[in-house]
Amino acid sequence: MKKILVFVVLVFTILSFAKTKIQFWHAMGGWRIEVIQNMVNEFMKLNPDIEVEVQYVGSYEEILAKTVAAVQAGTPPHVVQLNEISTQKMVDSGVIVPVQDLVDKDPSFDVGLFLPQVLNYYRVGGKIYSMPWNTSTPLLYYNKSLFKEVGLDPNNPPRTYSELIEACKKLVKKDDKGNIIRTGITWPLYAWFFEQYMALQNQPLVDNNNGRTAKATKVVFNNQAALNFMNLWNTLTKEGLMINTKRADWTAARQLFISQTVGMLISSTSDVALLINESAKQGFELGTAFLPLPDGTARGGVIVGGGSLWIIKQKNPAEVDAAWKLVKYLAEPEPQIIWHKSTGYFPIRVDAIQKLQVQGYYKDNPHHLTAILQLLTSVQNYNTNGAIIGAFPEVRNAIDTATEKMISGTLTPKQALDEAEKNANKAIKEYF
Amino acid sequence: MIKKILPYLLLIPTFVIIALFIYYPAYESFSSSFYRISVFGNRKIFVGFQNYLNLFQDKDYINAISFTVVYTSITVVASIFISFFLALLLDQKVPGARIYRTLIFAPYAVSHAVAGALWSFLLNPVVGHVNYLSRILFGIQTQWLTTRPYAAYSLFFASIWKTLPFNVIFYLAALQSISSEVIEASIIDGASSWTRVWKVVFPLVSPITFYLVIMSIISSMFQSFAIIDVMTKGGPGGYTTNMIYKLFMDGFRFQKTGLAAAENVILFLIMMVVTVIYFTFAQKKVHYQ
Repeated sequence: MKKILVFVVLVFTILSFAKTKIQFWHAMGGWRIEVIQNMVNEFMKLNPDIEVEVQYVGSYEEILAKTVAAVQAGTPPHVVQLNEISTQKMVDSGVIVPVQDLVDKDPSFDVGLFLPQVLNYYRVGGKIYSMPWNTSTPLLYYNKSLFKEVGLDPNNPPRTYSELIEACKKLVKKDDKGNIIRTGITWPLYAWFFEQYMALQNQPLVDNNNGRTAKATKVVFNNQAALNFMNLWNTLTKEGLMINTKRADWTAARQLFISQTVGMLISSTSDVALLINESAKQGFELGTAFLPLPDGTARGGVIVGGGSLWIIKQKNPAEVDAAWKLVKYLAEPEPQIIWHKSTGYFPIRVDAIQKLQVQGYYKDNPHHLTAILQLLTSVQNYNTNGAIIGAFPEVRNAIDTATEKMISGTLTPKQALDEAEKNANKAIKEYF
Repeated sequence: MIKKILPYLLLIPTFVIIALFIYYPAYESFSSSFYRISVFGNRKIFVGFQNYLNLFQDKDYINAISFTVVYTSITVVASIFISFFLALLLDQKVPGARIYRTLIFAPYAVSHAVAGALWSFLLNPVVGHVNYLSRILFGIQTQWLTTRPYAAYSLFFASIWKTLPFNVIFYLAALQSISSEVIEASIIDGASSWTRVWKVVFPLVSPITFYLVIMSIISSMFQSFAIIDVMTKGGPGGYTTNMIYKLFMDGFRFQKTGLAAAENVILFLIMMVVTVIYFTFAQKKVHYQ
């Protein structure tokens, strides 16, 4: 009898020391792997009963593909970071625990402190499905030193398309053989910028209020607003004022700007920290500005991009609780501030921004401020909340493919829009 | 009795593994091609041949098929002939032949993705070495990976570079097994080196050519998605998308499992037809010693 008692006690002690193990998959490569690991280590110190395995899995697409495989194999990861365009797909998936359900059960968590601009994106039908986390918008970066060199006002970056074209023309430099060795601008060939320019002109991308009042049934971008942007892209390319990179090659676009081959770059705010460092190394002065608008249009706003954290359903409820604790922690002001400072992704909470403001952070870091101001001054409506579409990756693919055909001279901007519309609609119809 | 059963018993582990990892997935993929399957596979609808119909009505898929034909024929033919000549050269008794061999085999050791990344660096329009040299020498700059037709040329070149060493190794082995008597006899008969290569040596290595052609076709049809993904992303405008890259995109980027399964079956059928035709016609020309 005594032996059995000792045994039972022993089993209980072991069980009470047993840690809940959870997996966290993210898509943040480079120096950010370490930043995230440190944040998670901090979390594990505060929660000694939880062990988090952090894994950098690759791109967002890679994470989604691997999550699908893992769920089907019956060994789902607990927390996965997916990009914003996976939102509708994951809402429809039936394999996730909506964050709203956990928020409702947890009185210690106040959603009211989050930036409405960010929450509005991730709220589908009044419900938050995933925890917004790394949030960014596009920003215009420019080389102040080059601006001075060619006689442009470094404190007056282009605000309209015509000013942008003028600035690009001035930045062009040719060698004695007539080859262009420096030119105006670049941005990654990625439909995200197309979507942003629709929102900036206060236009929706798809019907049913950008898919937010009912599921989107077709795209509605084949109009003047989109044509403005495509015409700009086409003109800049044809006149040698812009260098186009391979599809979704953000690194190549940054590289062109860092090597001072182009004077301006439109890229994500998540590049702020990196570009501040690199510009200092290369010895030029960095400037940041809001995105230039087509002449004569009113400014709508920018859409938040980036990623959010999804909690996948588990057999063991304790693991879901542990996952929620981790997700909640990563959205707290302190980790958010660390994340913001080391990357440029926004803090997603008002209290984090206030804290930074009080510390005088934005006085010393004007580029981080530009990034936030562009978001905060955005008009809030369905157009700027961003579209949600199940077949979003295919829609982006349709736009990218048509764009590639336009810049290689096979299609005119109008034809490119027609083709993108046709293929995007087909993808939306086929989504299942 | 035991003697009769024993071989089968010993074969069981192999059969189990083949059945689990080849026949079962193949069957799954075949049956999936008749369904529309949701992202996480938890909902599916039987649609019959709809996936196949959709594919053949899709202009992009037809383009992918034609690019596959062009890509496969160019890379296979070029890599077979170039590797044969390289093997002939490496077979010569020149000083340092071992060093050349090692250098030529090196690309075999890198993966398709790494090879793609390497060529992307070299062909980078701004900081790449190829453009740097062409700018200094000829004063021209080319957007190798983002314009027609250079994106396809770059891809052909990189793929040939990647598949070459494998073929060279096999040819070299074949060349070294040709007995010197045959060669000496042809020299005494007064055959020029050109005639000797084509009328004597090439027929003697024909079993290897036979094997390498089918292997190269398989490799360029089924393994080329990594190099395409890294170098051109199938662009510009779908120009360098071949069937396996389209399959990869539909299956793993857009999660259209049913459609991708149908593409898989089509690839399988094409490969089967090619193999059967090849075996019936080409085998007659193969000379076994």
